[in-house]
Amino acid sequence: MQQRADVSEFNDPFEDTNRGIFAFNQAVDRNVLVPVAEAYRTVVPPPARESMKNFLQNLNNPLIFANDVLQGEPKLATDTLSRFVINTTVGIGGMFDVAKLVGIPYHTNDLGITLARWGFPEGVYIIIPVLGPSNPRDAIAQAAEGFADPGNIVAGQHNVFVATIARAAAQGVDVRSRNIETLADIEKTSLDFYATIRSLYRQRRAAQIRHEQENLPNPNPFGGSDSDTSMSYTFDQRPGAAPPAPPPPASLVPPR
Amino acid sequence: MMRYLSRGWFSACLLLVAVSSVPRDAAAQDPRAFINQLGAQAIQVLGPSVPAAQRVARFRQLFQDDFDLVGISQFVLGRYWRSTTPEQQQEFLRLFHEYIVQAYSARLGEYGGEPFRVIGSRAAGDETIVNSEILRSNGGRIVVDWYVNNRSGHWKITDVYVGGVSMKVTQRDEFAAVIQQSGGQIEGLLARLRQKVSAAR
Repeated sequence: MQQRADVSEFNDPFEDTNRGIFAFNQAVDRNVLVPVAEAYRTVVPPPARESMKNFLQNLNNPLIFANDVLQGEPKLATDTLSRFVINTTVGIGGMFDVAKLVGIPYHTNDLGITLARWGFPEGVYIIIPVLGPSNPRDAIAQAAEGFADPGNIVAGQHNVFVATIARAAAQGVDVRSRNIETLADIEKTSLDFYATIRSLYRQRRAAQIRHEQENLPNPNPFGGSDSDTSMSYTFDQRPGAAPPAPPPPASLVPPR
Repeated sequence: MMRYLSRGWFSACLLLVAVSSVPRDAAAQDPRAFINQLGAQAIQVLGPSVPAAQRVARFRQLFQDDFDLVGISQFVLGRYWRSTTPEQQQEFLRLFHEYIVQAYSARLGEYGGEPFRVIGSRAAGDETIVNSEILRSNGGRIVVDWYVNNRSGHWKITDVYVGGVSMKVTQRDEFAAVIQQSGGQIEGLLARLRQKVSAAR
C-alpha cells in the first residue's frame, strides 16, 4: 500500500532501472560532457559563445514557430516568426540576437508541450541514456521533431548527416557550459541527487506547459518598465487552460 | 477576443483585491516592500565579496527571521510529519534549518551581486505572491516568486519559486524519496541530514 502511494507520488515505477541509467549518464557527464564544456568555456571567448548560443537558438525557431501555431498562440507565433526573420537577416544568420534588442524576447516551445496542451498524458518518468530525464510523451515528441526539423531535412537531402549530429552536440555543449556550477551545487548539496532532478524536471516541465515563467523573455532594454512585453504573455492564457496551482505571476500594472 | 476580455477581467479583479486589502496591509508593511528589502539584503549577503563563513552566518539569520520555518518543515515532511515523535520533530527542525542554510547559500551563491527588483504581486488566498526578477550578468533573467503571509503579524516567506519551480515541493520530493528508501522510516532521513550537516561544517 505504502509502495503504491509512493509510485504514484513520483510517477516513477521503473525507478531502479532509471537510477541505473542516471548513474551511467552521470559518468558520461563527468567524463565527457563537462570536460568538453569546460574546454569550450576556456578556449572560446564569451562573445563567440553568445553568438553560438544565438545561432543555435535561431535554428530552433522554425519548430518553435510550428508549435506556437499548433498551440493556438498567435502572439508567441508572431514573436517567433519576427525573431527568425530579423535575426537571420540583420542578425547575420542568427549570430546576433537583434530581435531581443528591439523588444522581441526569446521563448522556447516544443512538441512535448503541444501534446501536453492537447491533452496527451505524460506517461511515466523515464531516464533516456545520454539525453536524461523524460517521459514517453516528451521522448516521442523529441524524436518526431528530429525528423521534422527543416535544418535536419536539408542536411539529410545533401547527405550531410554529420551536420545534424554536430548541431545536436553543439547544443549539448552550449547548454551544459552555461550550467556547470548550478548543477554541481545542486549535486553537492542534495541528499538524493536523482530524486532532486526528478522533482525539478517534472515541476519545470509543468511550468513550461502552463507557458509560465520558463524563458520569461529578457526585458526590453529600451522599454525597461514594469509593463514591458516580458510579463504580458503570462496573462495570455485561455481561461481554464492552466491548472489552478500555482498561479501565474502577475503584475499589478494593468495590461495596456 | 477572449484573451483580451479575460485580461480586462483579470486587472479588474486585481484592482478590487488591491482596494479591498489596503486597510489590512496599511497596518503592517507592504509585502512588496518586504521582499524588496529582503532581496536587496540577500543579494548583498550572497555577494562575491562576502567570505563563505560570513555568508552562511548572515544567510542563517535571514532564514530565521523571515521564513515560516515550522510551516515549511511540516510541509516538506508531508504525511510523515504526523508519524514522528516530538523529539524527532525537534531534531528535524534543527537539522532542516541548518541543511537549508547550507544548501541554499551555495545554490543561490551564483546570483550574488546581480540586480534584483520586485516586478509585481497578487493575492492568493491569505497569502501574497510577490514576483521579482534577477537580471543575470550573462543577459539572462530569472523570475523568482515569493509566497508570503502575515499570519503571525510579521511577513513570513512560505515558499520560493525559481523559474516556476517550487523550492518547498522540490525539498519535499527529495525527502520523501530518502524516507522511502529507508523503508518509510524518518530515522533514515535524519541520519542523512546529520551526516550532510556535519560534513559541511
